[in-house]
Amino acid sequence: MNKKLYTIALAGNANVGKSVIFNQLTGGNQIIGNWPGKTVEKAEGLIEQEGIKIHVVDLPGIYSLSTYSEEEIVSREFIAKEKPDAVINVVDASSLERNLFFTLQLIELESPLIIALNQYDIMENKGLSIDFEMLSNLLGIPVVPTIAVRNKGLKALFEKSKEVIKNTKKVKPILYGKEVEEKINILTSVIQKEIDTFYPPRFIAIKLLENDTSIRAIIKNPDIIALAEKLKKGLIKIHGESPETVIISERYTIASRIAGQVTKKKGKAKINIGDNIDKIALNKITGYIILLGLMLLIFYGVFKFGSYFSELLGTSFELLKPIFIQLPLPPLVNRLLWNGFMIGIIAGITIVLPYIAPFYLILALLEDSGYLARIAFLTDNVMHKLGLHGKAFMPLIEGFGCTVPAVLGTRIMERDRDRFIAAILATLVPCSARTVILLGLVAVFLGPIYAIIIYALTFILIYILGRLLNRYIKGSPTGLVMEMPHYRKPVPKIILRQTWVRLKDFVYFAFPIIIAANIVMEIFTELNWVVPIANFFKPVMTNWLGLPPLAGITFLFGILRKELTLIMLSALYHTSNFAEILTPRQIFIFGFVTMIYIPCVATIAVFKREFGWKRATAVVIGEFLGAIVLGGILNQALRIFMP
Amino acid sequence: MGKKMTLIHLNPGDKAKVIGFSTGHERFKSHGLGPWSKRKHRMGMGLARRLQEMGLIPGSVVEVIRNMPIGPVEISVMGTHLAIGRNIASRIYVEKI
Ligand SMILES: Nc1nc2c(ncn2[C@@H]2O[C@H](COP(=O)(O)OP(=O)(O)OP(=O)(O)O)[C@@H](O)[C@H]2O)c(=O)[nH]1
Ligand SMILES: [Mg+2]
Repeated sequence: MNKKLYTIALAGNANVGKSVIFNQLTGGNQIIGNWPGKTVEKAEGLIEQEGIKIHVVDLPGIYSLSTYSEEEIVSREFIAKEKPDAVINVVDASSLERNLFFTLQLIELESPLIIALNQYDIMENKGLSIDFEMLSNLLGIPVVPTIAVRNKGLKALFEKSKEVIKNTKKVKPILYGKEVEEKINILTSVIQKEIDTFYPPRFIAIKLLENDTSIRAIIKNPDIIALAEKLKKGLIKIHGESPETVIISERYTIASRIAGQVTKKKGKAKINIGDNIDKIALNKITGYIILLGLMLLIFYGVFKFGSYFSELLGTSFELLKPIFIQLPLPPLVNRLLWNGFMIGIIAGITIVLPYIAPFYLILALLEDSGYLARIAFLTDNVMHKLGLHGKAFMPLIEGFGCTVPAVLGTRIMERDRDRFIAAILATLVPCSARTVILLGLVAVFLGPIYAIIIYALTFILIYILGRLLNRYIKGSPTGLVMEMPHYRKPVPKIILRQTWVRLKDFVYFAFPIIIAANIVMEIFTELNWVVPIANFFKPVMTNWLGLPPLAGITFLFGILRKELTLIMLSALYHTSNFAEILTPRQIFIFGFVTMIYIPCVATIAVFKREFGWKRATAVVIGEFLGAIVLGGILNQALRIFMP
Repeated sequence: MGKKMTLIHLNPGDKAKVIGFSTGHERFKSHGLGPWSKRKHRMGMGLARRLQEMGLIPGSVVEVIRNMPIGPVEISVMGTHLAIGRNIASRIYVEKI
């Protein structure tokens, strides 16, 4: 190898373990979870070893090279155009047949391949064994068995990949049946002479016969199209099926044959506990009871844990105050230091961390266990009413953590329309920052039931909005087609890592913002700007929403990050006993408005990136007006119950 | 085979052979399809292809694992479990075996 930079791509079906391998190889922080479609953008990591640099690229999961949803296009384009020096095809050893179907297509693309036979442990639990040397011989590709979560076999995999980079021998094609092969050859020989693209001629020929519209679109020569049409007619005549059915089915026949040859039954399969769990977890009655119970349990658990530690930490930090006040510094500096800097840090630690830390941990557990995909299954029907399908539930659930990945995650939706609807709804899902407000303010000072009411109101709002969007955005929705992942025993290391990755974001990214906002606020106070700004908001804040005028300022800061609404409130009034400064009705309205009034800047930024300025602006303005109008109506209505 | 049978007409444990997909405008009123059944539905080429790529090829055998009364159908095909929304499932013709 000479000194240049090499690229290795990880490709394969969804949920086979590509991102785990990526993280293990590069120390990267890709989101891992047990449902198909987590990785929606390619991610890159660098390995430097013995003077050579290797770029490792994690790609979204993909079932076929005839692409279907947006994130799959990313994968196909990358493999075909960027021509990585080696492609690690990550394969789920426990369902070899399905996975080989994709491997065969990678072979057609003439990628320099190596197979990671991953989830080897799960295959063994099924009572199977795979003769991987035979598999390697049959395909003409190196095969390395791996158990990614336990870091087994990955070293060997990496070494083998380097060999593949060095060795530029082409993989020989896997042949179809005689009739199909005949047609492919005729077409290939013409294409070879006429067309020059980054796709190999044989691949183009097969895709043309398969009716792949995007490949067809790049063929400019009408003679080739005409020839392909003629050959397709021939196939229809012989087989009585559409040409893509013929080719897909032959490909599966090959995959089944190979899988059958190399797989052996070895001992008994362990009883599949997952199937038994599903009898209850996906039952038409108990399934929903468990889902609801689990949600309430999580809510209550996080609330109890959070409020306990919040108070504990709060009182401990109070002890620091005298020390800071007595520091021999000019009074102004002293006030900035304590009221701005320290209060900012303390607020972040006491108001936010105790709630989001357990929350992220539970989210990671849900993700890795496989239950998330079951929720998608159970809610598919409700989602349909919103013009979506069950898969949309997964980015929406991500939204409970943070809205930014949720908006990105909507890429698993197959159509732009569905994506847009899902993304709008995702901005309304209470993210962890908003949960902090609900738990730390509403649940603590009004009672958990009120927080649940606000949650419920938000969900009702999401539901109504979804129905409206579905009705008024043109196009009809697609349905759910999802591979059900097996349940997995969560691996502690992976859970903790995932929790830490999310928390780190908060610590490194949110803390500076919280501190800066507190300092800015302290400067406002010093300059006596607070009251004039507050007065500007007074008509809406006080007369309509019934909130103190200062709430306007906190909402302004809240656009940066939603937790800031609460943190700034405590900074303005120098207390975190919110019952002293807000009436019960105000607490309720404050909580409700914070839930929906505007997505935070980070969300606005991804929204703009994913959907353009126009749609992003529409969403921001729409949610702002919606929050003001609904908050006001709620305020007037609540007068009766909460004076 | 009197009437045309689709995936949603099967019970858990049933095995069936895939026959084809509806690409026309048939409507299915029964079996809790909900409001969607009133709309014109057509299985786009893309979807039919995707189903085949997931292993639902005409002639292949699938086993129904679960059939939610108003929700999706879960089937076992090519050694993995697949969840298929009710709407799509109602447009996959099968022959019970
Ligand atoms: N038991 C076991 N679990 C594994 C193994 N490799 C990965 N997993 C688990 O499989 C699940 C999916 O892993 P990911 O790395 O997120 O899968 P992916 O291929 O990146 O999936 P997408 O990004 O959705 O395409 C996670 O829950 C992992 O913990 C393995 O070798 N054995
Ligand atoms: Mg991934």
